[in-house]
Amino acid sequence: MSFPFEIYVIQATHGVVYGMLLFLVASGLTLVFGMMGVLNLAHASFYMLGAYFAYSVTLYSGNFWLSLLMSPLIVGTLGILVERFLLRKTYKIGHTAQLLLTFGIFFVFGEFVRIIWGTIPLSISVPTLFAGDIPFMGRTYPIYRFFILGFSLLLLVGVALMLMRTRIGIIIRAAVSDAEMVAALGTNVPIVFLGVFGGGAALAAIAGVIAAPFLSIYLGMGGDALLDCFVVIVVGGFGSLPGALIASLMIGELQSFGILWIPRLALVFQFLLMAIVLIIKPTGLFGEKE
Amino acid sequence: MSHLRGFQLGLGIAVAVVILLVPFLFPEIGIHLAVEVLIYALFAVSFNVLLGYCGMLPFGHAAFFGVGGYTVALILRNFPGTPLLLTFLMAALLALVIGASIGFFCVRLSGAYFSLISIASQMFLFAVALKWRSLTSGDDGMTFTRPELHLPILGGISMRSVVNIYYFTLIVVAVAILACYLFLKTPLGNSLVCIREKENRASFLGYNVFLTKLAAFLASSILGGLAGGLFSFFQAFVGPSFIDINMSMVVVVMTVIGGKRHFLGPVLGAAFYVVFQDWMSSLTNYWMIVLGITFIVIVLYAEGGLISLFENERVRLWVSRLKK
Amino acid sequence: MAILRLENIYKDFSGLEVLCGISLEIQRGERHAIIGPNGAGKSTVFNVITGLYNPSRGKIFFLDQDITGWPIHKIALLGLVRSFQITTIFPTMTVFENLRNAVVSKFNRRFNFTSLLSRSKEIRRDCDRILEWLRLSHVRDVPACELSYGWQRRLEVSLTLALDPALILLDEPTAGIDVKETLTFVEFMKEATEGKTLVIVEHDMDVVFKIADRVTVLNNGKVLVTGSLNEIRGNGEVQKAYAGRK
Repeated sequence: MSFPFEIYVIQATHGVVYGMLLFLVASGLTLVFGMMGVLNLAHASFYMLGAYFAYSVTLYSGNFWLSLLMSPLIVGTLGILVERFLLRKTYKIGHTAQLLLTFGIFFVFGEFVRIIWGTIPLSISVPTLFAGDIPFMGRTYPIYRFFILGFSLLLLVGVALMLMRTRIGIIIRAAVSDAEMVAALGTNVPIVFLGVFGGGAALAAIAGVIAAPFLSIYLGMGGDALLDCFVVIVVGGFGSLPGALIASLMIGELQSFGILWIPRLALVFQFLLMAIVLIIKPTGLFGEKE
Repeated sequence: MSHLRGFQLGLGIAVAVVILLVPFLFPEIGIHLAVEVLIYALFAVSFNVLLGYCGMLPFGHAAFFGVGGYTVALILRNFPGTPLLLTFLMAALLALVIGASIGFFCVRLSGAYFSLISIASQMFLFAVALKWRSLTSGDDGMTFTRPELHLPILGGISMRSVVNIYYFTLIVVAVAILACYLFLKTPLGNSLVCIREKENRASFLGYNVFLTKLAAFLASSILGGLAGGLFSFFQAFVGPSFIDINMSMVVVVMTVIGGKRHFLGPVLGAAFYVVFQDWMSSLTNYWMIVLGITFIVIVLYAEGGLISLFENERVRLWVSRLKK
Repeated sequence: MAILRLENIYKDFSGLEVLCGISLEIQRGERHAIIGPNGAGKSTVFNVITGLYNPSRGKIFFLDQDITGWPIHKIALLGLVRSFQITTIFPTMTVFENLRNAVVSKFNRRFNFTSLLSRSKEIRRDCDRILEWLRLSHVRDVPACELSYGWQRRLEVSLTLALDPALILLDEPTAGIDVKETLTFVEFMKEATEGKTLVIVEHDMDVVFKIADRVTVLNNGKVLVTGSLNEIRGNGEVQKAYAGRK
């Protein structure tokens, strides 16, 4: 079954758009795991909360862009509170307790959303600035998706610069590599970790905000994103941002073309890929050797 | 006999009597709930073999529940003449085979990696159940009629009434849970705990960590499959909900709330979950969040779960207070 | 005859060479100490022998069998057992249960699922015998995490002894034990390892002088010298090596 060339490019673009969104969410998750060995099952909840808060802020203020500012602030703060008052208690107890706790938080956040916003999917209309389509590859393509692409790239560059060029960025990278060493050198690791945790949450929330007009806002979006994130960090490697980027794009394309070619099996392939990577190289394509 | 033992024995007998007389003590809806409790209890006990006894946390345990459920449904739908006990045996065996296949790959990983591959394998099976419409009818699920149970002397027992289903489930679950209890008391059961307590020390004492974990995985999958088979039999229906992430999450919640450190913890957790859900869902919209918060509180402050309220120290405290 | 033989063992970790050509022979029945300054590679030697690491080069022979690359549990079952510098016991289990884990392994019942563990008179009797022999009877039913540090170290060593191994490796067994208790501990170790082959890594030279027949000195991942206790005592190289590092 072959398609005209334009279709491929359009599907590929879909894939990149979704891949970038996925990367924004997965980056926080992978950094947190790399730094403290904590797999935060509640991470995708930040993405979901970002979208739902965007809905409310947009509804009450009439301004979508305001939610782009407020949502990450609210969710980032929430993330910091979660780490400081809940997660921190489990470091002494052990990894199983951490997994169980973050699972519990995921569960509670999901319920919280359901109680406040209900079960019916919500939607935000695309902001007028980027509404409409433009000609692309002989067909039309929504401008907003290009915005998502552009904005995510901007964020990506911003985060990359921060990590590569600033002092705090270097500390973060060092801590992901070897937290004990960094602590021995005098850095206040708990504060750094708190910052990374909160920052990752905020980033996921931003992804939620910009994704909201594009995908609908529904209760299962946290869970769906979480499963995709898992595949990303397994394939890309725990703790590796470049790995997460490449893996996110891979997953984006896999879903995009999967739906095109083998709609029935797309879901299956994703998890098969994850399982295979876990078996052959558990630390992922770019992860550090254990 | 000390007061403590007397109290625990008395409580145990009272509970056993209630369990035996459920159909006479409760209305039909109550019997339905009781069957659910029994099945979830077995499911949770199977899960706790991995979590409480072997220190492994699978987030995809519904895989076995689903395999068991689909096997029973497929057999009873396509080969209605199959003896009932054979059907359940096959459900357990197929779950065992799937368990061995998944376990062989999963068990070498630990911690978050193990939890993730567990989810991956369950989601893979979920996708299969959902998409292989010709076999499983996909999203719609499959219905079937419950055949009679044929026993040597007693002849055919109809499985139409919920009372019969209750006693049948009770016997199967009781036998399975007892078998699990005895299994955990064998040297192999002890090996599981060694691995949980200090994996490296066990290894240096000659314990094969991989094979021991695999054994735990197998035991867990047989019992989980049996539970799933019983559930599909009870509902006379099977669908992707048997093998989805939600079912995996439910068993985690039940076991942790009930208590993972005690053999009967999961049983209490199952009872609590089913009753709590039934009672609270009619009262308030907030019941699940209460459950979630309870879960978090237990993870942080009361690792022993609800059943730790009945542990010796506590009971001693209560008994001494009652005596005053 | 040599019960353990290391032939030209190299071990590097991502480019960092920790062991550079270690060759060593342990004779049956001897008490051999491995000493050396910090970073000499002593613990790494143990880790390589017991299967935690695979050597990058070289071979290990135990009881004339090539055990290079064998998995940890297989080596332990052959009769080569170790204790750890950091106490590694089963914390929530009682002393009795701790030792029982070793006894179950010794009797090869680790995978037995057809009998109840508590019913095995054989296992219980052997556990009680060991408890008596190693003077642990008075803490039989105490959870291991509730023991004092000194008694935990004793349990640590006892776990290896309970397996009745041919070769015992003790990694800094007296680590963290205060001076007063060390003497009793050393006596305990001497008695308990009577007739067995013992290799011990130690920092405390007093302990070495009391226990060892022969000593191997490691420095920078190489064997500096091997010899009897007296030979090593007067050796100038050894003193230099220790003086050079603090």
